[in-house]
Amino acid sequence: MLQDKSIGGRLFDAVNYTLLFILSAITILPFIHVIAGSFTTVGELARKQFVIIPTVWSLEAYKFIFSTDVIFKALSVSVGVTLFGTLFSMLLTALMAYGLSKPHLLGRSAIMFIVVFTMLFNGGLIPSFLVVKEMGLIDSYAALVVPTAINAFNLIIMRNFFQNLPDGLEESAKIDGAGYWGIFTKIVIPLSIPAVATISLFYAVTYWNTYLPAILYLDDAAKWPVQVILRQIVVLASGLAGDTSDFGNDYVAPPAQTIKMAVIVVATVPILIVYPFLQKHFAKGALIGSIKG
Amino acid sequence: MKAATVKTASITAAAEKRTTGKWGRMWKDRTLYLMIIPGLLFFVIFKYLPMGGIVIAFQDYKPYEGLMKSEWVGFEHFERLFSEPDFLIILSNTLILFAMNLLFFFPIPIILALMLNEVRHSFFKRFVQTVVYIPHFMSWVIIVSISFIMLSMDRGLINELLAWMGFEKINFLMSNEWFRPMYVLQIIWREAGWGTIIYLAAMAAIDPQLYEAARMDGANRLRQIWHITLPSIRSVIIVLLILKIGDVLELGFEHIFLLLNSMNQEVAEIFDTYVYTAGLKQGEYSFSTAVGFFKSIVGLVLIMGANWIAKKAGEDGVY
Amino acid sequence: MNTVMKRKGVILAAALSMTLAAGCGNNNAGNDKNDQGAKPTDGAQATDKQTEKPAEPFKLSIMLDLHEPEVPSDKIEKMLEDISNTELDIQWVPDGSYDDKMNASFATGSLPQAVQLKNAASLNLFRDAIKDGQFWEIGPLLESYPNLSKLNKDVLNNTSVGGKIYALYRENALSRQGVIFRKDWADKVGLAAPTTIDELYNLMKAFKEQDPDGNGKDDTFGLTDRSDLIYGAFKTVSSYFGTPNNWGEKDGKLAPEFMFPEYIETMNFFKKLHQEGLINQDFPVTSKNDQQSLFASGKAGVYIGAMGDVQSLTDKVKEVNASGELDIQNRIEGPKGTGIWSTGGYGSVFLFPKSAIKSEDELKQVLSFFDHMMSPVAANLIQWGIEGEHHKIDGGSAIPTEDTDLTNREVKPYLSLQIGGQGTIEELLDPKFPMPVKAKSEELIKDNENILIDDPTLSLESKTNIEKGERLQEIVKDATYKYMMGDIDEAGFQKAVDKWLKDGGQAIIDEYNA
Repeated sequence: MLQDKSIGGRLFDAVNYTLLFILSAITILPFIHVIAGSFTTVGELARKQFVIIPTVWSLEAYKFIFSTDVIFKALSVSVGVTLFGTLFSMLLTALMAYGLSKPHLLGRSAIMFIVVFTMLFNGGLIPSFLVVKEMGLIDSYAALVVPTAINAFNLIIMRNFFQNLPDGLEESAKIDGAGYWGIFTKIVIPLSIPAVATISLFYAVTYWNTYLPAILYLDDAAKWPVQVILRQIVVLASGLAGDTSDFGNDYVAPPAQTIKMAVIVVATVPILIVYPFLQKHFAKGALIGSIKG
Repeated sequence: MKAATVKTASITAAAEKRTTGKWGRMWKDRTLYLMIIPGLLFFVIFKYLPMGGIVIAFQDYKPYEGLMKSEWVGFEHFERLFSEPDFLIILSNTLILFAMNLLFFFPIPIILALMLNEVRHSFFKRFVQTVVYIPHFMSWVIIVSISFIMLSMDRGLINELLAWMGFEKINFLMSNEWFRPMYVLQIIWREAGWGTIIYLAAMAAIDPQLYEAARMDGANRLRQIWHITLPSIRSVIIVLLILKIGDVLELGFEHIFLLLNSMNQEVAEIFDTYVYTAGLKQGEYSFSTAVGFFKSIVGLVLIMGANWIAKKAGEDGVY
Repeated sequence: MNTVMKRKGVILAAALSMTLAAGCGNNNAGNDKNDQGAKPTDGAQATDKQTEKPAEPFKLSIMLDLHEPEVPSDKIEKMLEDISNTELDIQWVPDGSYDDKMNASFATGSLPQAVQLKNAASLNLFRDAIKDGQFWEIGPLLESYPNLSKLNKDVLNNTSVGGKIYALYRENALSRQGVIFRKDWADKVGLAAPTTIDELYNLMKAFKEQDPDGNGKDDTFGLTDRSDLIYGAFKTVSSYFGTPNNWGEKDGKLAPEFMFPEYIETMNFFKKLHQEGLINQDFPVTSKNDQQSLFASGKAGVYIGAMGDVQSLTDKVKEVNASGELDIQNRIEGPKGTGIWSTGGYGSVFLFPKSAIKSEDELKQVLSFFDHMMSPVAANLIQWGIEGEHHKIDGGSAIPTEDTDLTNREVKPYLSLQIGGQGTIEELLDPKFPMPVKAKSEELIKDNENILIDDPTLSLESKTNIEKGERLQEIVKDATYKYMMGDIDEAGFQKAVDKWLKDGGQAIIDEYNA
């Protein structure tokens, strides 16, 4: 790509880069505080409140959370559920979205309305629980995936991407005798890598963050994903539950703030790493250029 | 060309009944329907089956009696909602927050995505992209507690700074005036970077030749953004806008619940927080469901309106 | 470490794919409650034949609140199973989502045989269902159990619904409330432990004005409080002023606490503290964590709340300032003498759903398990863990180990299984805390029992209160804070009380006085 060397262009770049830099700094500081807080002592956190670089370093919080294998187990459950869930969801979503991306399809509007309707109306927790129970999914990992397999929002976005693909390639493939299935697998999907990457990321993040279904549908605590533990620690350490459950502080002290922060780091970093790996698929115009060229 | 094929098909089938033509067309598209069916089944089983639960909005639902045996009360719960002395205040609070959300938050990810899209330096671009995406993963509990550290009157960093510069301390956390800006700023902080992802993906699909052609014509960067980038992501923007409008009464319960306190409750009380104390905390499932149903109806009306306008304007809409 | 993680990942992935493949057919993994409910006769026969051979262990499913970050190891669970000849199937539910899970299970008929309810408020929500006969009445059965029969009748009565007893309870100190303050600061400003409201005020004032930390800066204040009118400082101070506990008698009729002049006096006290800067300016929005952090970091010197907090607060204060020292005090005298509000004497309770327990014989077996939990061995195991591992015994008292991480992981979660407590189980070891001030807190908590202010409505019932009480309470809560912050005056507060009366409060008063 050509570099814009004009004065206006340079001015534009200067302003743009500066703004983005300031913005990044503002967004990252709280997260740095969390990381720093996980590597220091309770005393330091109480003294300084907002820590960027700890003056006292400590690995105690991590020693504590890694001293049993609970967090490892929970992390591996989360990784498994996220991987399988994302694959399963992408399969269903991409198929349905492609089917619905053809404007000539009879009943398309009606089906889309059926989908949009579910974004607004839902029967609530208990009826959903009943369906999951009747399907025999209680206490299986499938309960974390199947009941949320398609997200209406993601489906609509995916369909929108498919719809915006240039018609030409598909038409010529049709003339060559390819059916919808062939066009979908050989042309549409390869052309839609940025969309596939985006929606996969959305699903992965949703599966990674899932906790209420895990608590509701998994009676066996050994199957809990890491978010359940994270949530529990944050709720306890922030004192959101302590008083009402009335154990008081007499016998049960809430976990330390440093431990809370360490668990946040451990439960968040794995999913944070996903994005940079996907970023190369967002490279501007890379795909269309290569296929057309 | 597509239209032409359809036309010939319908002419040849003219002798047959109209329905047969329809069935014929559907048979031709059978692969597409087969692709749709698994997803449709999902929606029927996991979304529409449980929707039967909405009937409890018209019942005096008791969990142990179930849907079948609970007493029917008609619109009693809706009457209770509409006759709630604070109903109008709650409604206007909700609408104002929604309007602010739409006005001040919605455009931010678009602008940020445009800015990122103009960055040529690939390492810097990736760095910024990754950094602004991080806050999305921090729960509201954490974000609100960090805000507290910043904004508290006792030793909040921002208030310390104000005091140091000789200004009066500002009671951000307990004032009616600051609640809304604080709410919107926190949403921007958490979701702006995350929101760029869809737009960046849409921009990735733009044909680079378009930019080269524009540059030949002497268009500067702003003009390229205006004439090429924005029009290319227009349909995504419109789809997201329509969906956002349908979300009118969904403002993030957990977030507002954490910000809400006795001192700003006049502006911060929304339907969700109201339902929490008036319904859920009391085990009043029927009333909670009725309020939820009311919210859904409002959302449905708005989304249908927005979609209708979009279609009139020649856009695809969401259905 | 890396390879271990990798291996675990692979094993898990394989297990997961199997589960996913098994899909719908995966509902029989010991999870089918009907399975256990379907053969109560077997169980009954087993008890009959007890004399012939050791009975088969009784299978018991139970839902427990998890108030620790992680599910405990099953070491203690195994020992409890042996003691009671039971095979336990414990469903741990994280505290933050406990009610969601319980309600969903209840509405879908999938509750286990014994269900823990977190507190009195949860029990209140189940009143209708209990009256409808969804849970077993256990009152008449308790007498026949050696340990359960020792449960306190008054407390059981506080848990009763329609005059009948349905719940087993875990004992809670009747009142833990008191004042925790910086002893080293009080010494520095030359003040003794406060015994009256005025002395308490003077202590706070001195902590603000006399530079108790000696750093030459005006950066300290008196009281640190949080956004909680009940477990924070407010309700405790209101007791000092002689305010009734939630409801009190006025002209021979029950009236809510905020219609008493003492409540207004309490608000005036806090208003003054706020105006003079003796309390954290943000107290209506401060979280418990931030509240304690102000105390720990040496900004504030007085903390009013659960006296047991003194141990963890001491640890935190010493982290920041090794010479920091704390002391505690109860019996703060006000214009009407001393007094302190009391709880109902119970924390969590257990209910027994009829959907899971099919016969009275089965119910008796379930109760027999809980009777075992009150036996000296089991009760001490639940409270103190294993001797030599989690505690030492010295002169008939238990000294808990210093390794609190260990007890938090292996012992504390099982507190959810506790029935009764110090007051009902004689052989339950008394704690002996190495920290003197913590030991003192135990004494003062006992002493509080002499000056209790009871809530007269505990065993009364008001339909309107069950339906609208929470929402109505918000009106008064908001007005109370606004008054203390100086946003509204007494007329404004009265307006809120009128709104409370109009929106349903009058009905509550009438129902309680009926």
